[in-house]
Amino acid sequence: MASEGLGMAMRIGVELVAGVGVGAGIGYLLDRWLGTGPWLLILFFFLGAAGGMMNVYRAATGEGLQMGYRRSSTDNRPDDRAGGE
Amino acid sequence: MASPVAQFELKSYGPQIEVGGVDLSFTNSAAMMVVAIVGIVAFLTVSMSGRKLVPGRWQLMAELSYEFVANMVKENVGSEGRKYFPFIFSLFMFILFSNLFGMVPIPEIHYTPTSQIIVTFAMAFVVFIGVTLIALARHGLKFFTFFFPSGAPVYMAPLLIPIEVISYFVRPVSLSVRLFANMMAGHTMLKVFGGFVVALGVFGVAPLALIVALTAFEILVAVLQAYVFTILTCLYLHDAIHLH
Repeated sequence: MASEGLGMAMRIGVELVAGVGVGAGIGYLLDRWLGTGPWLLILFFFLGAAGGMMNVYRAATGEGLQMGYRRSSTDNRPDDRAGGE
Repeated sequence: MASPVAQFELKSYGPQIEVGGVDLSFTNSAAMMVVAIVGIVAFLTVSMSGRKLVPGRWQLMAELSYEFVANMVKENVGSEGRKYFPFIFSLFMFILFSNLFGMVPIPEIHYTPTSQIIVTFAMAFVVFIGVTLIALARHGLKFFTFFFPSGAPVYMAPLLIPIEVISYFVRPVSLSVRLFANMMAGHTMLKVFGGFVVALGVFGVAPLALIVALTAFEILVAVLQAYVFTILTCLYLHDAIHLH
């Protein structure tokens, strides 16, 4: 279905940005609470970026589905995966 | 000329109500939400009042929207998802009607409730809390194994667990920002090009033609974003129920 592909495209960009934003936000708040300079902000910025990329990766491949995306029950069979879209 | 972001201005009607320092007066955003809900109720009850065996146009539309969401829940959540169907259907219809009524230039109260971050964030947060509670209720402490991918070596835990926790907390943010940003950007763009039409005089025909295309595109985005929000809710619910 074409709208499914477009829906997919809409998802992915925001996922990346939100990961960085949430990570930096958590780091900033922890820094303010613990008074640990910029270090936790920097650490959580990178963790958030990694989390965002992980979400994108899962959304795009539908693999390792723990927090991610599953296209539909039929698309998810292991033999389908190699020849996927 | 009106500013392209003037459309996002909140106007309050009636008496100023303040509870605990929070302004609770009735605004144009709230008015449009009422319009959306009245629209949904009218659409579903009036079109289904005939209950013919061979449906007419309106009955077909109501049945199609029901079936669309029912299939989405069945395919993405599974049979256990059936009891959450009323919630997901209400969510879908509310977002769809808010988005679509935002495209209608209703005088005085015109507003798109979903172009306000707090509205979309409230919905996304309800989904997030609900899904987390469902997962905790169904799986208890086993829920926390969710944050460590199975098969990963144990020494990776200090790195992987924070990443997984953050990617879990990203959900309500990305869910709400996606809907809000799409609606806000689209409506701003329409108003910017509307300004060009006035400013360019005779040559304003060119941006006018573009606006026609953009309006159609915005209607597509309105439907698509309702779909994306709902399908992601289904997927999160699936994760909570099945917990790989």
